[in-house]
Formats: sequence, C-alpha cells, structure tokens
Amino acid sequence: MDILSHLTPMFFGLIAAGTLIGIIFGAIPGMTATMAVAVCLPLTYAFGLENGIALLLGLYVGGISGGMVPAVLINIPGTPSSITTTFDGYPMAKRGEGERALKIGIVASVFGGLFSAAVLFFFAPVLADFAIKFSYVEKFLIILLALTVIASLCSNMLMGVFSGVLGVWLSLIGTYSITEGGNGETRLMFDFMEYYLIDGFSLLPVLIGIFGLTTVLLDAEKGFKDETGQGPISLKGGAKFKFNVFKGQLLNLVRSSSIGTFVGILPGVGGSAASVLAYSQEKNFSRDSSQMGKGAPQGIVSSESSNNALTGGALVPLLSLGIPGDSTTAILIGAFTLQGIQVGPLFIGNNIDTWYLMIIALLAANVLMFGIMYFAIRHIAKVIEVPKYILYPLIIMMCVVGAYAINYGIMFDVWTLLIFGIFGWVAHKIGLETVPLIIGFILGKSAEVYFVKSIESYGNLSIFFTKSPIAMFLWVLIAISLAFAIYLRLRNRRQPTVES
Amino acid sequence: MESQWLSLLDVSIDFDQSHLFFPRIVTWILVILLAMIVITRYRLLVPGLKRAGRVLAGREGEFDHKRFFGTLALTTAYFYLMSVLSDVFPNTGYSFLIMSVVFVFLLSLLYVEHLTRRLFVILVLNALIAPALAWYVLAQLFRITLP
Repeated sequence: MDILSHLTPMFFGLIAAGTLIGIIFGAIPGMTATMAVAVCLPLTYAFGLENGIALLLGLYVGGISGGMVPAVLINIPGTPSSITTTFDGYPMAKRGEGERALKIGIVASVFGGLFSAAVLFFFAPVLADFAIKFSYVEKFLIILLALTVIASLCSNMLMGVFSGVLGVWLSLIGTYSITEGGNGETRLMFDFMEYYLIDGFSLLPVLIGIFGLTTVLLDAEKGFKDETGQGPISLKGGAKFKFNVFKGQLLNLVRSSSIGTFVGILPGVGGSAASVLAYSQEKNFSRDSSQMGKGAPQGIVSSESSNNALTGGALVPLLSLGIPGDSTTAILIGAFTLQGIQVGPLFIGNNIDTWYLMIIALLAANVLMFGIMYFAIRHIAKVIEVPKYILYPLIIMMCVVGAYAINYGIMFDVWTLLIFGIFGWVAHKIGLETVPLIIGFILGKSAEVYFVKSIESYGNLSIFFTKSPIAMFLWVLIAISLAFAIYLRLRNRRQPTVES
Repeated sequence: MESQWLSLLDVSIDFDQSHLFFPRIVTWILVILLAMIVITRYRLLVPGLKRAGRVLAGREGEFDHKRFFGTLALTTAYFYLMSVLSDVFPNTGYSFLIMSVVFVFLLSLLYVEHLTRRLFVILVLNALIAPALAWYVLAQLFRITLP
C-alpha cells in the first residue's frame, strides 16, 4: 500500500513536534491553537502535503489541549475552549490537587479527541458522498446555511450577520476570475489599487494578521500586565492522580465528547460553546453535581473531553463540504490550497491516501499529546511563565515569513498582514465577530460563483426554493437556525442572570 | 397565472457587467445591515465613539499608548525597511535576517517593564539567535522564500 510509505519517522516526528509546540502555544494565555497553526504554517511549505498536514494537526490537537494548563494553574483559560476547565480545575489546584486536575483533563482530552476522530472517519465520507450530488443551487444554499448558523450563534446576531457579509464583501475584491466563468474585470477597488489587488487579498496573510498580529496588539494595549496578580500554583506535593477517578464517568465522557463533536461540525461555532454546553449538561443531568464549580473532577472531564472532541468534529464539514468548522480549520484550508488541493465533497474520494493519513495523524496526535502531557506536565506547566516580551516579537517575525512565502515572495502580502492585524484590532473594539468574518471571507468567492451560475442556468430566482427536495430541506434548516437564535435571545432576556 | 408570478423572479445577467452583479447585492445587504446597526444602537454609538476618542487621547481608561503605538510604528518600519533592503539583497533572506534582529530587539525592549543588565543580555541574545535560527532553517535548509 502506498500509504505505508508515508508513515515514516519524519511523519510521526512532525506530529510529535507539532503537538509539543501546540501545547506550548495553548499553555500561554492569549495564544491559541489557531495562532499556533497560523504561525507555524510556513514550516509546511518545505514539506509535502502529508507531512505538512501531520504537523498542523499536531499543532491543532496540542493547542486545544495545552489550554487547560493555565486554566488549572492560574485560573485563566489558555484557549477560549478551556473556559469551563477553570471552574473546577483552579479550585482543585488551590487545594493542592493541581497535578491531579491536569491529569484528569489530559485523560478526558485524549478520550474526546479519539472519539471525534472516529466520528470523523465514519461520518465525513458519508456526508461527502451525499454532497457530491449537489448542484450550484444546493452548494450556494449550504454556504448560506453555514453563514446563518454562524451568525445566529454569535453573541449579537445582527453584528454576526454583518461580520459574515463583510467577510464575503472583502473576498470579492479583485478580479472576477475567467477560470470561474467570470469576465475578468476588477471590482470594489480604485484603479490605482489594481496592481496590488488584481487577485484580491490572499487568504493566509489575512488569517495570520487577524489571529497573530491582532493578538499582539490587544496585549500591547494592555501593557502586558499580569492578569492574575499572583504566580502560578506549584504542582509539587498534593493528592496523586489515580485512574479510578473515572469510575462512573463514562456517560459524562461520551455525552461531552458527543456535544463537542457536534458543535465542531456546526460551522464557525467555537470551542467555548462546546465546553460550556457540555459542562451545563453534566450539571443538569449528573446524579450529584453539588460539587461542580468547587473543584469536582467531573467538571474537568466534561470540559476537556468536549473541547478536544471539537478537533475531529470541525474537520467533518471541512473535508466533506469544504466549509471550515472553526477558525483553526479555516487556516487548514489555506494549507491545503498551498499544496494545490481543494477541499470539498470530492476531496476524500480523490485523495484517499491523504484522507487515511489525516485520520492516522489525528489519532497519533491525540496519543502523543497524552504521552507528552501526562509524563511531562510539571515541565510544561513552566511554559506559562515564559515572558511575552520574548515571545511576541518572534511571533510577528514568523507571521512575516508566513505571509511573504505564501505567494513565493510578494511584499504586498506582508502589508496585508499589517492591514488585517489592525483591522482585527478595530473589529475587536467595535464588536465585530471575527469567526463569521473569516468564514464569510473564505466562502465569499464560491458563494458568488454558485449564485451567479445558478441564475445563469435557470434565469429565475425561484430555483433556489424549488430546485430539489434537498434545496427545500436546506431552507428548512436555515429557518430552524434563525428560529433557534431568536428563541435563545428571548430566553436570555428572561434569564439574564443565569446565562451571565 | 402561476407562470406570470414566477416571471417576476426572472433575472438575466449581462456578461459585460457580471463582475458587478453579486458584489452589488452584497454591498446593498451590507449597507442595510449597517443602517440597522446604527438605528438599533444609536444611543450607544455616540457615547461609545466619544469614549474611544478619550481613551486613545489618553484622557480615560487604561490604554498603554507607548506599547500599542510603539508596536504599530516598529512593525510598520520593520516591514518598510525590509522591503527597501530586499532590493539591496534580493532573494537571499538577508533583508529579513538583518531587519528581524533589529526589530526583535527593539520590540522586546519596548515590552520589558524593568530592564536589568542580565535581561538586556538575554534580549540581545534572543534577538541575535532566534532570527538567525529562523533564517538558517527556513531559507537555507527548507529553501523558503524570504524577503
């Protein structure tokens, strides 16, 4: 089998390196898995697709897992998806059970990660086979559904919709490509911009700017103050971890992992939603939830299994529909494009070896994450003390490499990084939602092609409603997502204190 | 009768103007959404803008002007000078290497709260070693294009 020739020490070495770097990024508050993938993307230019993907998946899994370290030790989630880990992890650490809390989180994480990899393996090909039958109309409606779901789950729906549409608008800047059936004319720019923007803004400099430089600017504005006001809690001493803490936790593990995977499949819904949902379900349905929030292992189990389950879930829409499940998988789209591969319904069928290697890489990343974190947690915990005055200049430097190398040496891509870094900071300040904006940006050009081709083929707008039962079903899903959003708004208005 | 109603939804796209068809729709949606945001939040808008102005001017709130605008200025200068220097050393990555050493050192210096002699040496070593390592691994080993 050809696949075996790719399973080299280099392949597994890159997964291990990616996982370790990801853990370090995740463990530093303010630095996320998305940032890890964005910053390390240039390293994949030199590797082939399979080795590059191995590194990026390691970074993804490691980045999500590493977020638990500061969540437990300093009460600040390293990544947004570790928010609920602070509820029980920090109280446990305060009473001298920091190492135990982290090891509970590590085991729960590996369970969630492996669970979601299995779902990805069995579910993505089925969804892709189904999506192959889609015409331009259904493909456009899928994008519309994705943007609706993302926007409806934002904290402010109107801003979410606006952000998504703004992302689409930004993606349309440039030439209406002849290869896509366009007329080769430029739009949405002045004549003097044509030299720079003939092909529009490149995806990766935009992503690297928003997720890399923006983070640095947000921290620079705060002056790099120590948000905790105290040092991290020591891991020495305290109660020892034993696996029997998971006795009676199987239902919690499976339920939380299922929630994490499902939330991952929904495009654009972040890991924090997964962990909050899983945590609240455990609180509602467990026999005894009285200790949750005061240092109960079951809280860490639900939080960490759900946020790691997000990894496989978010890859499902990416690999079967070409729609990223979250901000990190949005960057993975860029990595695929870089290697000349288009993700979508045909991806798995046309790249079967790559598909199997991705599953192997995801499984290996989870196992390696467990090995690295379980046995070296005391050393990893020290990472949170690495000063940002050392790290952030290096991050900007790596952002430059990523932006410049993407199109083999275009300086305008580096300026794009700066433009979108500042734009991301402004967006953060005025309440724009980054994830809908990015996903709108990624899907905008495809949405245009599918929309225009549908109209050119049928000449009537009614085709979007009447083309097929699938089209009608997609409209029903769009209506449900909007209705659900409105229901949530009304419920939150009635119970503001509970939600807060 | 039904076909008459359906004919209201007929659309034809002029190929010469097809590049503007979808962007115009998106622009209109954007304008309408912006108007809705302004209408629904106009009470918050003006005080919010005023407060932002006061914060940026340093009259209110906690905003580290030195580090924020210093980051922007240093990053802009880093990109600009790297671009200029890359004409002097084309396709070698030297421009990236030289400017990164300077940039990493200056930005670290900007971010440090209390500078000691020992810390100064650490910053110098970091600024020399990290860009040199990145340049060697990326440009020399992996043959990645650098400015």
